[in-house]
Amino acid sequence: MSAVLGPVVTRDANAFWLRAGLWLLLAYLGVTLLLPLYALLSRSVEDAAGHFIGLANFAEYLSRPALRASLGNSLLVAGLTTLIVTATAFVYAYALTRSCIPARGAFRLVALSPLLAPSLLPAIALVYLFGRQGVIRDWLFGEPIYGPIGIVIGSCFWTFPHALTILLIALAGADGRLYEAATALGSSHWRTFRTVTLPGAKYGLISAALVTFTLTLTDFGVPKVIGGDYPVLATDVYKQVVGQQNFRMGAVVAIVLLLPALAAFILERRIGRHHSALSSRAQPYLPTPRPARDWPLFACCSLLAVALLGILGMAVYASLVRLWPYDLTLTLANYNFDLRDGGSWLAYRNSLWLATLTALAGTTLVFLGAWLCEKVPALPWLRGLIHMLALLPMAVPGLVLGIAYILFFNHPGNPLHGLYGTLAILVIATVAHFYTVGHLGAVTALRQLDPEYEAVGASLRTPAWRLLGRVTLPLCLPALLDLAMYFFVNALTTVSAVVFLYSPDTVLAAVAILNMDDAGDVAGAAAMAVMIFLTAAMVRTLYAQLSARLLRRLQPWRAGSRA
Amino acid sequence: MPMSATELPPHAPSDTHDAPRGPHPLRAPVAAATPYLRLHNLSKRFGSSVAVDDVSLDIERGEFVCILGPSGCGKTTLLRAICGLDPQSFGRIEQDGRDISQLPPAARDFGIVFQSYALFPNLTVAQNVAFGLENRRQPRAAVRSRVAELLELVGLQALAGRFPSELSGGQQQRVALARALALAPGLLLLDEPLSALDARVRVHLRHEIRALQRRLGLTTLMITHDQEEAITMADRIVVMNRGRIEQIGTPEAIYCEPATPFVAGFVGTMNFIDAEVDAIGRARIGEVALDCTVEAFPGTPVRLAVRPEDVLLSTDEDALHGIAVEVRALEFLGPVLRLTLGDAALGARVLYADLPAAQARQWGLSLGVRLMATIEPTAIRVFPHDGAGA
Ligand SMILES: Nc1ncnc2c1ncn2[C@@H]1O[C@H](COP(=O)(O)OP(=O)(O)O)[C@@H](O)[C@H]1O
Ligand SMILES: [Mg+2]
Repeated sequence: MSAVLGPVVTRDANAFWLRAGLWLLLAYLGVTLLLPLYALLSRSVEDAAGHFIGLANFAEYLSRPALRASLGNSLLVAGLTTLIVTATAFVYAYALTRSCIPARGAFRLVALSPLLAPSLLPAIALVYLFGRQGVIRDWLFGEPIYGPIGIVIGSCFWTFPHALTILLIALAGADGRLYEAATALGSSHWRTFRTVTLPGAKYGLISAALVTFTLTLTDFGVPKVIGGDYPVLATDVYKQVVGQQNFRMGAVVAIVLLLPALAAFILERRIGRHHSALSSRAQPYLPTPRPARDWPLFACCSLLAVALLGILGMAVYASLVRLWPYDLTLTLANYNFDLRDGGSWLAYRNSLWLATLTALAGTTLVFLGAWLCEKVPALPWLRGLIHMLALLPMAVPGLVLGIAYILFFNHPGNPLHGLYGTLAILVIATVAHFYTVGHLGAVTALRQLDPEYEAVGASLRTPAWRLLGRVTLPLCLPALLDLAMYFFVNALTTVSAVVFLYSPDTVLAAVAILNMDDAGDVAGAAAMAVMIFLTAAMVRTLYAQLSARLLRRLQPWRAGSRA
Repeated sequence: MPMSATELPPHAPSDTHDAPRGPHPLRAPVAAATPYLRLHNLSKRFGSSVAVDDVSLDIERGEFVCILGPSGCGKTTLLRAICGLDPQSFGRIEQDGRDISQLPPAARDFGIVFQSYALFPNLTVAQNVAFGLENRRQPRAAVRSRVAELLELVGLQALAGRFPSELSGGQQQRVALARALALAPGLLLLDEPLSALDARVRVHLRHEIRALQRRLGLTTLMITHDQEEAITMADRIVVMNRGRIEQIGTPEAIYCEPATPFVAGFVGTMNFIDAEVDAIGRARIGEVALDCTVEAFPGTPVRLAVRPEDVLLSTDEDALHGIAVEVRALEFLGPVLRLTLGDAALGARVLYADLPAAQARQWGLSLGVRLMATIEPTAIRVFPHDGAGA
């Protein structure tokens, strides 16, 4: 056998640019992800003067009972929330996919609506519902809402749709043939549920629980507003960094926060791999009406939907009341942010800018990155590395990313120091924070395309970018629009990473909520939270209305046969 | 749908950017005797597994060659190496006298049709065909007339404005063919182009593709796992198994003179009978002796290969030559019946024989009937008994 080294290997310009693109992407992810995280890690093992001191900071952390207590508090609150949310979301998802309850569309809409609000919104609503002057404060039998109870209820509100989405997918993929077989064998409903439904949804349940746990553990908005003097990890990080300017201890707490999140993430990926795909011969399961099952489920869903709507409605109502609880006349005065302490319309405008720019930059970057990873037939190890890097942000809580960014970009020696305090760094941080979900979505869309398109393009001597523009992008347009929407809504509602990175000029709506709440202007905070919710809801509705029409106009081939 | 009679010019108009490709009418071939495509000791590994193992093959200009083999034997891998999509691990490829082993796909000269067709669903038929033409900075009119020409060639002028989802499978296949031919490639590669189609359309398109290839004088390499397809279409067939070439030959040679038990078993139906050499020119099956061309020491175990249609049957039980057998099973295959024949003298062995259905009716054939089977010595192929292949 002759190993032949032929003539000089020809590398056309096309291949050169694709390789260059991969290296650039690696460099970008390195600078916006790896280096900041490295800065965080190294700060946590240094003393105030910058000398390496091993794990001494962690020892100090453990020696402070106040800090140690918040670790336990965080785990307790996250654990409780996970139990409640996983159980209720499972019932809700089960009702939506496996029963014949009426108004399933409306139930789904209500349950998913918290996705459009910042996590601060439920906390503020809880102040009005159960606070010292709350409408239904008696329901707590004298227990204060400020503390673990408030954190758990608030966290349940905003994590519910995340768990629900996972469980809806897990339960939607049922194989009708299994149920037919179970019925044919005379299995009771309860037995079928235990032997067919539950095992089928097992991975979905575990995944939903892990996601809920991580979200609650790393959330900062709810405990900040409703936590009172009940310390948790997320508020500790904030207190150390913003309150005491103790970056060293902030870094330590951030890493303590990062570890469980990382563990949950790795566990989730592991389990996801075992998740067997539905066989292509599976028949979809079509539920038949059964009152004994449907009506109790309907009651449960109604109760949950009323609770969700109640919290949302309370926030809206509170934002419209002149002076709670003394003067209940309705007014828009609370929305006059420029006159209020801590808020401004500038913050709202900045948020819109941030959302728009994040949607544009994030979609472009993430899609091109996924395309390079999936469709470039070179440097497989580099593509693998980038793919792994793209998964990393999912494991890094926003707070941790925020501190990592301060430590890295605010370092006087950093040539990118000029970015600090600009809108650009907020965009960069937000894109990095939400990179993973976007990347996975884009990869899924790209993998659905015929892998031979690239081969055909090469055989027709078409440069890769032309195939991308002419075929790949048009085919992925719906996925691209979804991606942009995802970035937009999340950039609008996020608070955890950006709370460390804004400047007076780039203050954001979600940050303004915090500031107004801090200044005691809870009504103003409610109004801003409602503004964010309304904006996200409006854009989302507009998007749903327009995208279908747009696609029909721009892409007639999607209609199938025009005959 | 009839093919148009228009001849295509053998080369794309005004090909300004690249070196001239393919057979040019005004240019003498590099050397008339050199094969157009030469594969030298080509191998491809995926990690530790060898998908293509030391394949050498010459294809003449204008020849239609089929690579035939079971699924997973490395056919697609070989094709992708020829394209440069998944370069070979070892070996050399020459096309038209040029070493292309290390060239990227875009610098090679081929058109390809994939099993999935890989038509661009967002482009119309005409846009799909024009895709390769449009990045050559040609005047629009030239592109348009070339597209019209190609669509006429495959008989799809009327459907130029349709999207692929609005076409039948056979029509999609033709669009893929027209797109592959757009740049007038010197080499056409077809990866199971017909396997996604109905049986009827498939037979029809076999003829169309072959006629088109003849008309354009296009060197073509087609991959298939369907032996009937290979036999009816190819000038030469390359039978592959587990990454290696088992035999190269004309369809007749492959069918009538299979070089290995694998080829004998893969192409058509074959009786394999364990036997041992009795004397020169004679083998023994159980207690039955049979004349055949064999030259080995008596007692050497061999395998005899006989086509069912070469087992000749008669009802004359007193015939001097032949094997007395009993009908053990009958399978109706349409024009013929396939009989399973056995006898105490053969031991556990059975013999399959094809008998015209009319003949069987005339004899009133049924289970248990006794017949005489004779096999011409020339119809028997003798393989060493090593159990390999088959
Ligand atoms: N990208 C790849 N990585 C690893 N193994 C591969 C790859 N592509 C093909 N193979 C293996 O190589 C062998 C030949 O595959 P292929 O050429 O597709 O077969 P065929 O086209 O003849 O059906 C198979 O065993 C297949 O599993
Ligand atoms: Mg194949």
